[in-house]
Amino acid sequence: MKQGYLRRLVAAVIAFAALAWIPAGFDVGFQFDAALALVWGFCILSLVLLTGYVGQVSLCQATFAGVGAYAAGMMVSTFHAAYLVAIVVGVVASFALGLLVGLPALRLKGITLAIVTLGIALVFDRYVFQDHIFDWFTGGSGGWQVDSATLFGIRADSSTHLLAAYEILLALFCIVALLMVNLHQSGAGRRFRAIRDSELAAATMGVNLTRYKLLAFGLSAAIAGLGGSFYPLVAGSVSPQPFWVFTSLQFAAIAVLMGVRYVPAAALGGAFMAFVPDVLTRYGHGTFLNKYSYDISYDWFQLAVGVLLVIQLIALPDGVWGDLRGRAMRTWSALRARTSRRVSVA
Amino acid sequence: MSQFAAYTVIGLSLGGIFALAALGIVLIFRATGVLNFAHGAMGMFSTFVAWQVFYGWDHPAWMPQWAVTAAAIAVGLAFAVLLGFVLELAVFRWIRTREPVVKAVITIGILLALQSAASLIWKNNQYHLPIYIAPETATYMVAGVPIGANYIVIVVVALLLAFGLGAFLKYTALGRAMRAVSDDPVSASLWAVPVDKVGAVSWMLGSLIAAVAGILITPFINFDTTSLTLLILDALAAALIGGLVSLPLTVLGGFMLGLLETYPTIWIQSLGFPRLVALTVILFVLIFRAPRGMSVAGR
Repeated sequence: MKQGYLRRLVAAVIAFAALAWIPAGFDVGFQFDAALALVWGFCILSLVLLTGYVGQVSLCQATFAGVGAYAAGMMVSTFHAAYLVAIVVGVVASFALGLLVGLPALRLKGITLAIVTLGIALVFDRYVFQDHIFDWFTGGSGGWQVDSATLFGIRADSSTHLLAAYEILLALFCIVALLMVNLHQSGAGRRFRAIRDSELAAATMGVNLTRYKLLAFGLSAAIAGLGGSFYPLVAGSVSPQPFWVFTSLQFAAIAVLMGVRYVPAAALGGAFMAFVPDVLTRYGHGTFLNKYSYDISYDWFQLAVGVLLVIQLIALPDGVWGDLRGRAMRTWSALRARTSRRVSVA
Repeated sequence: MSQFAAYTVIGLSLGGIFALAALGIVLIFRATGVLNFAHGAMGMFSTFVAWQVFYGWDHPAWMPQWAVTAAAIAVGLAFAVLLGFVLELAVFRWIRTREPVVKAVITIGILLALQSAASLIWKNNQYHLPIYIAPETATYMVAGVPIGANYIVIVVVALLLAFGLGAFLKYTALGRAMRAVSDDPVSASLWAVPVDKVGAVSWMLGSLIAAVAGILITPFINFDTTSLTLLILDALAAALIGGLVSLPLTVLGGFMLGLLETYPTIWIQSLGFPRLVALTVILFVLIFRAPRGMSVAGR
């Protein structure tokens, strides 16, 4: 058991060391993508916890992230709070909303939960984030501008803030990912998995469904909110568009596509979501065979996500990462079996 | 009082759209066990195909306006049937034995793909003129309240389609086959009910109804690719009122929701507020009354 903890800790440190230097050579656009990849990565990580571990469907993760982002923006703009305080408030606000969304989830599961969470995403997208009643929270139609926000001495409008935000986000991501993998092995993780496999059986074995389902929703929303509360620092402003209902649907689609049961798939999904549209719009125009001109816009990304999701669910039910992992493990055990046979012959 | 009556008319026609969209969802869910989140997106895409014929292309000078309208609607509906057929053949035939949630997530993929494909072709942020079935200016006075002809068309079409669908399911051989499959696909196939054919017909019919709803609603909402796609929430709310099985209750639920979403706009000027009404209705229905269809079709 101890050995498992140590191995996971080493893996997290290696992952941080391997990924930390990557955006150093990038231009500002790609540095922004790298930081954004981790913001979205947190949102998909929150789905790994909620859907992958506990088996609860959610189509409103972008709402949780948006509440985190707006709460952080409000703290910085209205109350002139330090950014660290803003992040804490953002996470707490998302956690509270997660508990609230978890309440109906106590009586629902599967498809009906998907409908309710879609409704919540739509209400926040069209009403809370856009209506004038909530201007105190959303900063009106212009959103919050947080250029002067400062975290650990890094100003949001400085030339190096993207790189610094990336390093902080990456460190946090590795820590949260490590905590999540450890959680999966702990008693609470076993209860979560029992709920995923069968709520009835879990309740029969004495798992407190109310407590653990609410906890799952709260924790998941807090993780999404942690990513979201960094959004103002990364982007310099908050607006409804990044957190609208289609982002929530994309989170669900990409999480399932990459493998909703695996923590590394969240990082992969976040990178996919941040880099691919930018690369497409940057290099996706020109002429093909000197004759046909093409212009690939952002919509192509969502089209690809939709089509890939359908293909993946039919062909690779465990997601891209899950499938690769399964193949690697099978190859590894086949190799081991072969070498051990050779040894026994010798 | 006349203001109240005017809002009632708007609410009823909006409700007619919800009822229509929900009928397609219930039909597909009962026959195939797929809760179709892409229903709005499918209707949206077919509606834009009709729009393309109506406004996008030049018409021969000899063609009168009603013929253009008829041609646009015919092409849009034909496309919808084709879309339903292709989706069933390419996607849903292969996932019949998977869990309901996986099927629903697949429809989210289809939603995203259709929505962005439509945005690519028809430019999402552009203003699109709506498709008028009846002339825009035609109004009738009923008990002192002016009612636009397009409103009447919606309510009539919704009721006609609901009764037609009910009769189809009850009295035709194919309708009986669909009900048999929705009750128990395994024993239905043992009784030589053509399960593949039933699936294909349900998707074609469902897609057709979605297109009818989409074409009818264009004069009343912001006609773009996202608004029609997101109509799915209201349609799902109406379908849940019907327990995902009952056609009459679904239609009733659609009209009820239309009124519930319209009356508050007398006092609350907010584009987003009706979404809150829909969510409240969904929560209310789900918490106090589990959808009956879940146990029947939600295998």
